[in-house]
Amino acid sequence: MSSQQTEFAAFFQASWEPCLRTVVVVVGSAQLAEDQVAEAFARAWASWPKVRRHPAPRAWVVRTALNAGASWWRQRRRELPLADHDLTVSGGLDGGLDAGLLTAIWRLPRRQREVIALRIFLDLDNATIARQLGIEAGTVRMHLSRGVTALRHELTPAKNMEAGNERPR
Amino acid sequence: MNVHDEMSENEVLRAASKSLSALPMASPPDVDAIMASGRARRIRRRSGVAGLSVAAAGTALALGLTGVFGSAPGTIRTMSFTIASNANGTATLTINPKVLLDAAALQSDLRQYGIPAVVTSGSFCSSGFGPAGFSQVVRVYPVPGPRRHILPPGVHATFTINPAAMPAGAELSFGIFRFSSGEQQTYLMLVNKNSYTCSSTAPSQLPGSGGEVEFRPR
Repeated sequence: MSSQQTEFAAFFQASWEPCLRTVVVVVGSAQLAEDQVAEAFARAWASWPKVRRHPAPRAWVVRTALNAGASWWRQRRRELPLADHDLTVSGGLDGGLDAGLLTAIWRLPRRQREVIALRIFLDLDNATIARQLGIEAGTVRMHLSRGVTALRHELTPAKNMEAGNERPR
Repeated sequence: MNVHDEMSENEVLRAASKSLSALPMASPPDVDAIMASGRARRIRRRSGVAGLSVAAAGTALALGLTGVFGSAPGTIRTMSFTIASNANGTATLTINPKVLLDAAALQSDLRQYGIPAVVTSGSFCSSGFGPAGFSQVVRVYPVPGPRRHILPPGVHATFTINPAAMPAGAELSFGIFRFSSGEQQTYLMLVNKNSYTCSSTAPSQLPGSGGEVEFRPR
């Protein structure tokens, strides 16, 4: 195995899970996310000389996975115009999860989920997130703030009671 | 933003991270398969062959990964649902919230995975409190609330079903209701194979062992 292959294999093993978790949060389907992330890693290897020099290679994989998903999605829509969500999701849930919080996360708008997932799993700062998403850093702050506010509502029952148990959408 | 707000934001993100990190994820596929796919992509790009599109390549890769993870009896995809077998003997059912379930097809296909089921459209079959053990047989993703869970737009209900945990003499009852508003609801519970009754009225509450998922169209 060449040094580049060894390097990529190490990157892949260390990055698969955080990238997959990030994409799962955004697309809401584990199986679709697995396909997209696998495709993105294949592309990363195809362009490894470029990707290895990228300032945030994991973010590159996530961005590519989400873009690949859009392409995959459009292709599927052409093939099966009535079946736009015939996806497979694998895996169940173990105990100890906050189901309400998970639901609140998936209720967030996609952009807020993207920002939060990139912060949580890839530990990116606002400027890097902004570059990856092609938006201003201020816009990242706004999405993060709104997302956190919505989740905070879920995490503080007292506030929920005051608001008549309404959850943010 | 003051220090208190900053800390609160961090606390919220930590809580979100903790919960999301507890979601089970698939093990990484074989890196050699990934690199082979990448190599093929690079060769196609260099040779100028415009053959496989991005989407087609992704689909091919997905099919390859299915082999890696083990898939007997494979994956069944229809307009309204997908069933895939998992390496641990369970099967994962994913329901398309926008297409009315084909009850007969779902019932027949579930049996191919060793899952006895009675699937009805416009009615729901139940047998009292039903056999115990629902939570061992079925896991719903996202997790429903104690009685009712409204899925957010774009999120697909997934049921991971373990046929080995099915109590003797039991089967799963799926009841599918489609309302004029476009909402589709699926009710699910364990029933006794030889002792259940079916009602055309959607239950307001499931007794004991049932789970309930309501689909809200986008």
